[in-house]
Amino acid sequence: MVDCIRGTSPVSEPKDFRASFDSDSQRTPVRVAFVTRRTTPHVTKAGDDRVMTNPDALLRVAVAVMALLIVLVVVSLLFDAPLEGLANPLQTPNPAKAPWYFLGLQELLHYFPPVVAGVVIPSLVVLALVVIPYFNVNVEAEGFWNRNGERKSILVWVAVAALSAFLVWFSVYAVLVPTLVSGGALIVTAAAPPQDKGFGGWLRSKPLPFWIMTWFLVVAITLTVIGTCFRGAGWSWVWPWGEL
Amino acid sequence: MNSLYSRLRGTAVWRSVFRSGTGDTNLHRSLTVQQNIFLHLASVKIRRRALEFGVTWYLGTLSMASFVILVVTGVLLMLYYHPSVPQAYADMKDLQFVVSAGVFLRNLHRWAAHAMVVLVFAHMFKVFYRGAYRPPREFNWVVGVMLLLLTLFLSYTGYLLPWDQLAFWAITVGSNIISAVPAMGAKIRFLMLGGHTVNANALLRFYVLHCVILPLIAAVFLAVHFWRIRKDGGLYTGDKPRE
Amino acid sequence: MPDQTPHVERACPGCNRRRFTTAGVGSLAIAGIGSAVFGYEFLSPNALYEPSPIVDAGKPERYPPGSVTPDAQSGLYVVHGPEGIYALSAVCTHLGCVTAWRPELDMVACPCHGSKFHIDGVKIEGPAPRPLPWLKAWLNDEGNLMIDRSEALTRKQYVRVQA
Repeated sequence: MVDCIRGTSPVSEPKDFRASFDSDSQRTPVRVAFVTRRTTPHVTKAGDDRVMTNPDALLRVAVAVMALLIVLVVVSLLFDAPLEGLANPLQTPNPAKAPWYFLGLQELLHYFPPVVAGVVIPSLVVLALVVIPYFNVNVEAEGFWNRNGERKSILVWVAVAALSAFLVWFSVYAVLVPTLVSGGALIVTAAAPPQDKGFGGWLRSKPLPFWIMTWFLVVAITLTVIGTCFRGAGWSWVWPWGEL
Repeated sequence: MNSLYSRLRGTAVWRSVFRSGTGDTNLHRSLTVQQNIFLHLASVKIRRRALEFGVTWYLGTLSMASFVILVVTGVLLMLYYHPSVPQAYADMKDLQFVVSAGVFLRNLHRWAAHAMVVLVFAHMFKVFYRGAYRPPREFNWVVGVMLLLLTLFLSYTGYLLPWDQLAFWAITVGSNIISAVPAMGAKIRFLMLGGHTVNANALLRFYVLHCVILPLIAAVFLAVHFWRIRKDGGLYTGDKPRE
Repeated sequence: MPDQTPHVERACPGCNRRRFTTAGVGSLAIAGIGSAVFGYEFLSPNALYEPSPIVDAGKPERYPPGSVTPDAQSGLYVVHGPEGIYALSAVCTHLGCVTAWRPELDMVACPCHGSKFHIDGVKIEGPAPRPLPWLKAWLNDEGNLMIDRSEALTRKQYVRVQA
């Protein structure tokens, strides 16, 4: 909004605002913001670079849509959708697997009772996703280790240890391993020098929500891959490449 | 060719359909967006930076595109599908061996559904890692989470429709998870399936949910989602200007 | 500021906005509750075309002592143990998959999430929250073994037959 206003009130002229327009304004709709009171709006950008939706954006969207369509058509011509025998309520196939995006959940069902793995955990995940922008929004996106490093490192150790102990107690190694990996990465980055320009420095600049979401992502991918590729008859562990 | 096109655009019929008139001024280009019911959810101008591939990877656009592909192929498949036991399975076989291009349409519907789940998840993580969920876009993030759930429900209800072993047991296991909800789980499952077992009633209910109820709800949420992109200040391009 | 609106003869002297709103919100609430009740009733089918829970398992002589007979059709096992015949549900208490009797392992195994049970229903391992239930079984007047799949026994009861 503020980028349309060029300059603030000069000293000699105690007006509340002054607005001016681009030369294109007769043909292009302009948004005008009136800043009342004698304050200077904090402008970080002097008018960001805009292009017309038609044709610049529409053309790019059309190209993207066509690319997707081409890929899907080629895949559909090459691979047939699976179709098994007629549904038979008397005979459970072994293993009986849900669609792939629920296999992470099915893997959890192997460890926890249905009310925990099937109801409580998914509800908590959805709830956590919904409240993300309302809770600890962290607008500055400050690196996790930038302040109070000593106190935070104790907290991180305690949190990772408690979570790991819980997972060992229920022998949920499929979640334990990604938890240790992402928790370990968080602890290791504390040692990275702040001026590091490489991967370590990049990780060190990341805030806490980044770490929680990454942990969630790694756990979800691990569980889904295990459920899809590493589970065979009776939900027992198998290797996708067969017996060794 | 070009002159034919411009003469066509000058006809009374064309001008009655597309009220934006002719010309290539910015005013005209704005009007083509403003005066079109499908485009008017978008603003007439967009930040140049928002169009760069690396910013969004076009994941939202591609999610919407897969939704459109699914609607088109889904409506066509409905013409050869009876939601009854065991006719539903016979229809799958007909699509495979009897209907012209039937197997292609079914494949396209199936793979586009998988693609949509992947794209919507990827879209969510991309938005999160860019920090585009933060105020003032927090409500649009919530709408997005609802759309993710709708995508999963749509995919899950569609999974039963072929009525093969894969479908039947995935839904049996899934509906038994619901009965683990404390106190009213068994009731919810009974209402969802329209019976105690996955049977003809369940197939019909899932069919109606998959083909009518959930797509309509999704369309409403999609409209809100796109509208809010614009109302919340356009596509997020980062706090800092690019060096 | 003087009241400039022309005086209108009110048809309903006691009416005001507050009362209108109260009555409106109240009737909407009643309509909402009514719709919820009717919606629930509409969505619950009153007649179900599902198989009967009571099955006729035939003459008990079909089940020799020491045998386990899976009946996939009905989702149960008829077991003739040393103390008599009993019927064990084959539907896993975890998520409703049909379990399989594995004679070579002397146990019942579920293909979905790996639960395993002894033939008396007690869980050996896996995520199943409860043992496989014993089903109510009795001999009818014709001497046939009848099993009610909808009724789980709370205590072990055997159907004894003369050997």
